[in-house]
Amino acid sequence: MKNTLKVQRAILDLTQDNLAKLMGVSRQTINSIEKNRYVPSTVLALKLSAIFKIPVNDFFTLEEDD
Amino acid sequence: MSKQTICERERSHLDKMNKFQLGNQFKKIGYMIAIGAFILMIGRKYIEDSEWIRPILHGILLIGLLVISLSKEKIEDEFMDSLRSQSYRLAFLMAILYSLAQPIVNYGLAVLFNQNDELEYFDYFQVLFFMLIVQLMFFWKLKGMNK
Repeated sequence: MKNTLKVQRAILDLTQDNLAKLMGVSRQTINSIEKNRYVPSTVLALKLSAIFKIPVNDFFTLEEDD
Repeated sequence: MSKQTICERERSHLDKMNKFQLGNQFKKIGYMIAIGAFILMIGRKYIEDSEWIRPILHGILLIGLLVISLSKEKIEDEFMDSLRSQSYRLAFLMAILYSLAQPIVNYGLAVLFNQNDELEYFDYFQVLFFMLIVQLMFFWKLKGMNK
C-alpha cells in the first residue's frame, strides 16, 4: 500500500516530529509509514485524515500485490 | 451466569493479559536486576560451596530480562506493539530451533572430542535465557532499522 503522507506533510510544513506529537505516536511510526514499511491501523489513518482534513482514500492507495 | 457473559468475561481477561505491560521506569529496574544477577553469577565462581545459589541467580536473571521485555517504551504506540509482536514471534521460533539443535550439537561435539558419548540435554534456564535475549535483540534491531 502506497501513501502520500510525506507530500501532505510538506504541504502543511510539518516535521515528522511535529506530526508525531500531534498524533501521539513516535517519530519512528511516522517515518515507517512514509517509507511504506508499516501500514497503520484504521484509528491512526482516521487521525491522519482529521489532521490533514482530507479523506483516508487520498492518503492511501492499494497496489497490485495488495 | 449466561454463556455469553462467561465468554465476554473470558475475552476481557484475555485482553487484559494480552495488553499487560509495565511502565517505562521498570526498564531501568530490569537492567539493574539482570546486570546485578549476571555480576553475581560471575562472582559465584570464586566462592566455594556456592552451587546452591546458582538456580536462585538464574531465576533472578530471568526475572530481570522479563521485566525489561515487558516494559513499555517512552512512547508506546501501535507501531512499537507491532515490532514487539514480531520480536516475540521470532524469539519463539528461534527458541524451538535452538531446543531442537542444541542436543545434537552437544552430541556432535562430544563425539568429536571423544568425550562422554551420551546425548546431553540442557535445562530450562538455557532455553528461557536464549528466548528472552533473542526477543530483546530482535526488538532493538527492528527499532534501529526503523529510526
